[in-house]
Parts: sequence; structure tokens; C-alpha cells
Amino acid sequence: MTVRNKSYKLNLEGIFKDNFNIFIETYIINKILFRKLRPEKGCSLSTRLMKGLISLLLIFWTLNMFGQQKHVVNDSLKTSNLNEVVVTATRNERALNAVPMPVTLIGQKQIRAMGSLRLSEVLAEQTGLFIVNDHGQGIQIQGFNPDYTLILLDGEPLVGRTAGTLELSRLAVANIKQIEIVKGPSSSLYGSEALAGVVNIITERPSGTKGSFSARYGTNQTSDLAGNLSMKTKKSGFNLFLNRYASGGYDFTPETFGATVSPFQNYTITPKFTYDFSKNISLNISTRYNIENQQSSLLVGSDQIAGTGSVKDWNINPNLRIAFNQNLKAVFRFYNTHYKTNSELLYQKDNNVYDATYFSQTFQRPEIQVDYALGKKQFLTLGGGKIWESVEATRYDDTKRFETNYGFFQYENLLVKALNLTVGGRFDAHSAYKAQFSPKVSVAYDLSKKVRLNGSVGVGFKAPDFRQLYLNFTNAVAGYSVFGTQEVALNLARLQAENQISEVLFDVTKLGELKAESSLAYNFGGKIDLDNGLKIKVNTFRNDISNLIQTQAVALKTNGQSVFSYMNLTKAFTQGIELDASYTIANQQSPITLSAGYQFLEAKDKEVVDKIEKGELFRRDPETLITERVKASDYEGLFNRSRHSANFKVFYENTKNGLTASLRGIYRSRYGFADYNGNGIADVDNEFVKGYVTWNISASKTFKEQFRVQAGIDNALGYTDTKNIPNLAGRLIWLSVGINLEKHKITEQ
Amino acid sequence: MNSFQKFTLSTLVISTLFSACKKDDDVVVQPVKSETVKDLPADPTTSVGANGQPTSTGKYTFFSFKNGIVASTDSASLKWDIGFKATTIITNGGTSGSGQAAAVVLNGIFNEITEVPASATFAQDSKTAFAVPTGSGNGWYSYANGIISPTAGKVILIKTAEGKYAKVEILSYYKGAPTTPAATDAARYYTFRYVYQPEASTKFN
Repeated sequence: MTVRNKSYKLNLEGIFKDNFNIFIETYIINKILFRKLRPEKGCSLSTRLMKGLISLLLIFWTLNMFGQQKHVVNDSLKTSNLNEVVVTATRNERALNAVPMPVTLIGQKQIRAMGSLRLSEVLAEQTGLFIVNDHGQGIQIQGFNPDYTLILLDGEPLVGRTAGTLELSRLAVANIKQIEIVKGPSSSLYGSEALAGVVNIITERPSGTKGSFSARYGTNQTSDLAGNLSMKTKKSGFNLFLNRYASGGYDFTPETFGATVSPFQNYTITPKFTYDFSKNISLNISTRYNIENQQSSLLVGSDQIAGTGSVKDWNINPNLRIAFNQNLKAVFRFYNTHYKTNSELLYQKDNNVYDATYFSQTFQRPEIQVDYALGKKQFLTLGGGKIWESVEATRYDDTKRFETNYGFFQYENLLVKALNLTVGGRFDAHSAYKAQFSPKVSVAYDLSKKVRLNGSVGVGFKAPDFRQLYLNFTNAVAGYSVFGTQEVALNLARLQAENQISEVLFDVTKLGELKAESSLAYNFGGKIDLDNGLKIKVNTFRNDISNLIQTQAVALKTNGQSVFSYMNLTKAFTQGIELDASYTIANQQSPITLSAGYQFLEAKDKEVVDKIEKGELFRRDPETLITERVKASDYEGLFNRSRHSANFKVFYENTKNGLTASLRGIYRSRYGFADYNGNGIADVDNEFVKGYVTWNISASKTFKEQFRVQAGIDNALGYTDTKNIPNLAGRLIWLSVGINLEKHKITEQ
Repeated sequence: MNSFQKFTLSTLVISTLFSACKKDDDVVVQPVKSETVKDLPADPTTSVGANGQPTSTGKYTFFSFKNGIVASTDSASLKWDIGFKATTIITNGGTSGSGQAAAVVLNGIFNEITEVPASATFAQDSKTAFAVPTGSGNGWYSYANGIISPTAGKVILIKTAEGKYAKVEILSYYKGAPTTPAATDAARYYTFRYVYQPEASTKFN
């Protein structure tokens, strides 16, 4: 592992300057001012555009501040006692208790108390969610791979997936107001990818004039610096979030070349601007720029290979809200995002290029949503839009483009007492595959004031992605090739003409047009909310998935390797039950909240289940070399699915002393990891990763309402499984300091 | 075939049958031969070439169910039944040899296959495909993470060069049949079990 700069101490100003001077020359915490934005020599167009935009926003905001400074209203106190409101489930603000589908809400307070830095850390502790490491940290919901969960940032989709996984550690949590997780298909509102569910990250909006800054340092030279500035006048508001997150990585096998997790530095800047033209018309412009630089090293055969890579994403998301009258509202959005990676790996012996790749993806989407209230008990939402997507990359012949036209509707009916009926659907017409219609019906019924039942049936889908349609990739070292379904016929013919094919295994004309993967899902559950502070939530689910896209070997090359393409093949199902209980020991000054969660999960390939039933699936004992039939009880399900998972958490707060503390234990039972006996499934003990528990603890103390010190230990018992779970670092100890400044408090003193 | 030939042929058959009946007492029915062959070399790698590709002699190892490994000088004879080179298995018939050999890969458990099923469709090696299909997941093995794993539940039925039957189960592709082979283990060494019916019978017991 690389030995890092020893001068890495908590010299805040120094570190801050070093790392943010790309964007900012001078930064003063107390009276945050931007004097000028220094244009960097050789910086990209996008960076310059971003800088230009920030400058414009700042000028605009400054002008407004001068005009209206006297009218500053601090509304931060007003929001404290409102009910929990979610937006993701219905695309409208609704009380969490009122929506008829399973929604998990994680608030800022909880995220703060945990001391988490990245989205992946927060999600890892939630009931029924698992972090899956496959080309990045993705999320598994209701037993689905990360490909099937849509990740939204303020309601807009994040793009840039590698092998289906959207890296969740790209997202800092310090500026998050709340995270909403809708489980079950939500394609009826959001279209493709919302098959398992939707995670929506809601960031803070400008509220009052305040600033905060925090710095954290911990094991593996992991450091985090975050600054948040918010300003609000009567009409305009501005919010700026800056973050630097970096780690020195770690190495479980120091005797060999190459780190287990390589060093990286991640920077995020998210300016947000709001302007109210009148009581009924408001404009909101959110932007984000994120860049991560990575230093990687690996051993290929006996060759040492090292290099650098960068991952960038940026977006701009203006939206205009108009309330025509009390009952009719419209939102116009125009979301633009871009994701780009670059990597260059060199042989260390001679600096020759081992692999140099780039990947660039764009996504643009204008959208209109109209909300109409028919009285107080019926609500209608209509919307439509168009998506332009493109990908340009080393592994694609040229720029590939998709277009989607879509429309959606939702009707909420509360006419019958105690009953909430929500019906919705969405139609997606796509340029590269068959159009999809995704309906969903959800019902909630209040048995009593304390008991509520809800259920939903819905269809979800995931469109074939660029890779599955257009990939043109040959692994230079191993020698195999992978072609998307649109490319395979042409490339196979080319390889045949070059005499590189020894045998065609599959008639590629039979691959046909790729269909979207789809699921039919049922969710049924309920919640009990007792006066004594006990809350219980239950949800059972069943997802029947068809047309799962898998790789298919289509030809053999003369070098003995295969040519692969993609095909709609498998059918699978996932089912299970999720339980959550929480109990608050009510005490005005120092409440203690105990919570526990459990999920039982079964996720299986239907074809494998069939084969086992027919006695056509076998395995061989590697010791005795005797072959036997796999029994139904030997098949625990798809790889990476734990049958049982649970969490137990204690949160303590003492408002008088400014203390918080938390203890969280996360358990997952064993899960299939490898197929050593060649029968395609995990069915013998050595193919499973042992079940394990990790314990995380944290405590914080706030002084004078402004200064905060927090310390914690993640994975306190230091559980590791270096062979099977390289991304589970051992014990991580960290310490952070923070300062909060609010304008009204300063002036009062 | 004219009628005279037909006549002589049938006479021959009849006379053979009769003579066989007569001699029944002194002919001992040969029992089936059941054996496990360990570490049969199948063109193992001799060195690694400049481009990282392994080099080897490129020659098949020929095997007779009756007599074991056969010298390669006899490749044009009926002395061998099957040949091994890396993951490729050829049979002495069709485009590969002058014998009657053919093969079919069945799904099932070795011991449970007690005779050649009537439904089994034997194929011979041809220009376009071998009777024992090559490629990961197509025939007797799958390839993943640099390891060749013989697929459990695959039993190869062989019609030998002389038209007799044998069943084969390949157990390992690595020297010493390690329980968890690594990519660095010596590959192209077959361990397999077989049952050979030396008589003109489709039964394996």
C-alpha cells in the first residue's frame, strides 16, 4: 500500500486550501465570501461552465441580498414539529403515515447521530437492504441486484452505472435532508430501473442564513471535510455544499503488489439556488459537480500494473413551479446530467499501456407534471416527458443514443372513510426496444386509529442498457469477446472472416430483439402505532421476474475462448417478509429509541428450481468424486442473498447536555458466493460466505449550540473476511469536529 | 447387394449363430471392465510462449478401453477408442479415425446408467463438430475464473472403435485431482472413471 504524506494532520485551513483551490481561492468560514473564481489553466469546458454558472448564481444572489437583507426571515424553527413528509411514493408531498406503499424514511438527525459520510453507509444499516460489491457499492432491495433500483437525487435519476451498479459512495450525506426508500416496483411513476424500488436523496434547500463546517479523520487516512452555506431572503435563496472525502485505502495482502482498496480523493460541490417570483411561481436550480480521483494498482500474472482513473458526474436541474390556483399546480423540469470516467493503467516495468479506457454518458430530460386536486379527497397527477441518452466509450463503436417518450398518471382517492386507493400507470415508448406499460394499484385501510393495512400490486421494468445492446469488447489479456445484441452478428461475421472462430455455438439470429426485464410484484403489510411509543411495521413481498437478461456464449474462438452476447433467459422470483419495530422510552430531555429489524428472504432462479425438481441438477463431492443429485433443500437461492438479516439499534439523546450516542448491530446470515463445483449454484458449505455481525458505535457532544465533537468506531469488533469480503475493512476509528453558525443566533448575542 | 450375396450373408450369420450355440459351454462371457484412470496427460503445457499463451506438443493421447494408453504411432489403427488433447476429446470414427466410434453426452448419475438407452443418439466426429461437444457448458466441462470444472451429472457414452460400448465420467482436469483446483495447478491431466462392456451388449453390468 502506498505510504501517504505524513503531514496529513488536522490543519483545516491548509487542507481546505490545498484541495479546493481548483474552485475557490479564498474561503472564510464566518462570513463566507467568494471573491473570484480563478480559471485554471487547461481545465475542461465543463468545469469552466460550472464555474461560470456558480459565479452567475452568486452575483444574482448577492444583488438580491443587498436589496432585501432587512427582510431575512429565519424559518428553521418552524419546521421542527411537522409530521414526516415524503415525496417519492406519489411524486407529491404526502404524510409518511398516509402513503399506501412501503416507504422507509431516514432523517437527517439519524444520519448525523450515526456519523455516516456516504450514502452506502447509511443504507447498509437499514432493514432489508444490503450493500453489494460488484464494480462498486450498490444496493440490494427485496433480493434484487443493484441494477434494479433507481437512485434519485432530488427526484432526478443519477446515471453512470458500471456493470449495472451505481456507486453509492459517490454521494455524500452531509447535505442530505432525508432519504426516502420506496420498496416494490415504482415504474408506474419513474419508468425503467424502478423494479425493486426507488431510493430518493433529498438534499437541503436554502433555509435561513447559516453555515456549517465539519472535519473528520479516521483509520486508513480517511478524511472528510464538509462545508455548507445557506442564505435566504424573502424571495431568493442560495445553498452551497462543498465536500472532500478521501482515503488512503488499505491492503489485506501486503505481501503481494496491489491494494485491496486503492487510495482515492472525492470532491463534491453542489450549489442550489431558489427564487420566488411570486407566491405562486418559484424557480429552483440545483447543480452538482462530483469528481473522484483513484490510484489503482494490481498484479496481472507476474506483471505489476498501476495507474490512475477519474470518475466525474455533474448535473444541472432547473425546475419551475407554478400554482395556477389552490387546486392546480404544475412543475416544469429540465434535467441534464453527464457521467464520465477515464482510466489509464501502465505496466510498471516499461510504462507501456496495459489498458486505457474512457466512458461518457449523457442524460437529458424535459418533463412536465401537473397536479390537480378534485376537492379535498381526490388527487390527479399527470405528467410526461422525453429522455435523450447517449453513451460514447472505448468499448463502443461510436456514439450510441436512446430516446424515450413517456407519460404517466396517478389518481388518489380518499372518498371512502379510512380507505386510500391509489392507481397509477406509465407508458414508456423507447427507440430501441418494445414500449412498456407499467400499472400499479395500492390500497391502504385504517382498521383503527392504531392499525393500518396496506397492499399493492404493480409492474416494474428495466430497459436493456447500452452495454447489452451495443457493447463491443474484447479482453486483451484473457482473449474473450462480448458483443451487445445489436453488434454481435456483424462482429461475429468479421471474426469468422478473420478466421478467429473455430465453432459457432448459437445461431445469433435467434437471439432476437432484447426485451425489457420485467416483474410483477405484490406487497402486503401493515403498521401498528401504539400510544406507549411502540411502532411495528410488517411487509410481505413477492416479485416474479421474467426475461432476465443473461450472457450467452455464441461462438468459440480459435484461442479456446468464447464470444458472448446477451439474451432474455431466466425467470426468477424473490419473496420474503420484513419486520420493523421501534420503541421510544419517552423522556422529555433524554429519549432512548430502541429499534430492531428483520428480513426473511428467498430469491431463486425458477429454472434451477425446476431442474432440481426433475432431478437434473447434480454435484460432485471433490473428495470422493461421487456425483449426486442436488436436493431442493441444498438450494438456498441466488448468489449474494442472505436468508436472514437483522439489525438492532439504540439511539440516545440528551438535549440538555447536548449529548447523542448510538449503538447499531447489523447481522446477515450466510450467503452464496462462489460455484466451485461447477453446477451453477451455491450448494455446498465452501461456496458460502459465513454469516456475520458488525457493530457500529458513535457519540457526540455539542457545546454552546454551535460546536460539535463526535467520535465513533465502525465495525467495532473488527470483523473481517479478507478472502470473501474485501470491502469490509476492519475496525475504523474516527473523530470529527464541526461548527454550526446561524445568523439569527449571532445577531441575538 | 444381389440375391447371392444376401444368401451367403444369411448363411454365414445362421452358421455363426449355430456354432456359437454349440460352443456356448467353453466361451467365457467377459465381465464388464470398471476402472478409474488417474492423471492421463492430455497434451500438458511444456512452456509459456512469449505472448503468454501456453505452448505444448499439440498431440493427442490415445486411449483404448481394452488396453489403456496407446502409442500415438497407432493413431491410424483401430487400436484406440478415444483421444484427449486439452479439453478436446475425439473418438475413433468419422473425421477423427477409421473406427466405428461415436459418442453422446447424457445427463445422469454414472452408476444409474446401467445400459445404453434406446433413445440415445450417437454422433461421430465431423468437420463441424466433435461427438463430445467442446466449449464451456456445451459438453463435459465448464470454464470459469480460469478453472476447467468437469460438469457433475454428465456421462459420456462411447461406442468404441470396434463397436462396443463404454460409459465415461470425467472427474478432474488437474494433476492429482485436487479438491479445489487453482489456475496455477498443472492442467490437462484427466482423471476419469469408465465401465467398458467388452461383449456385444448395451448393458453396463
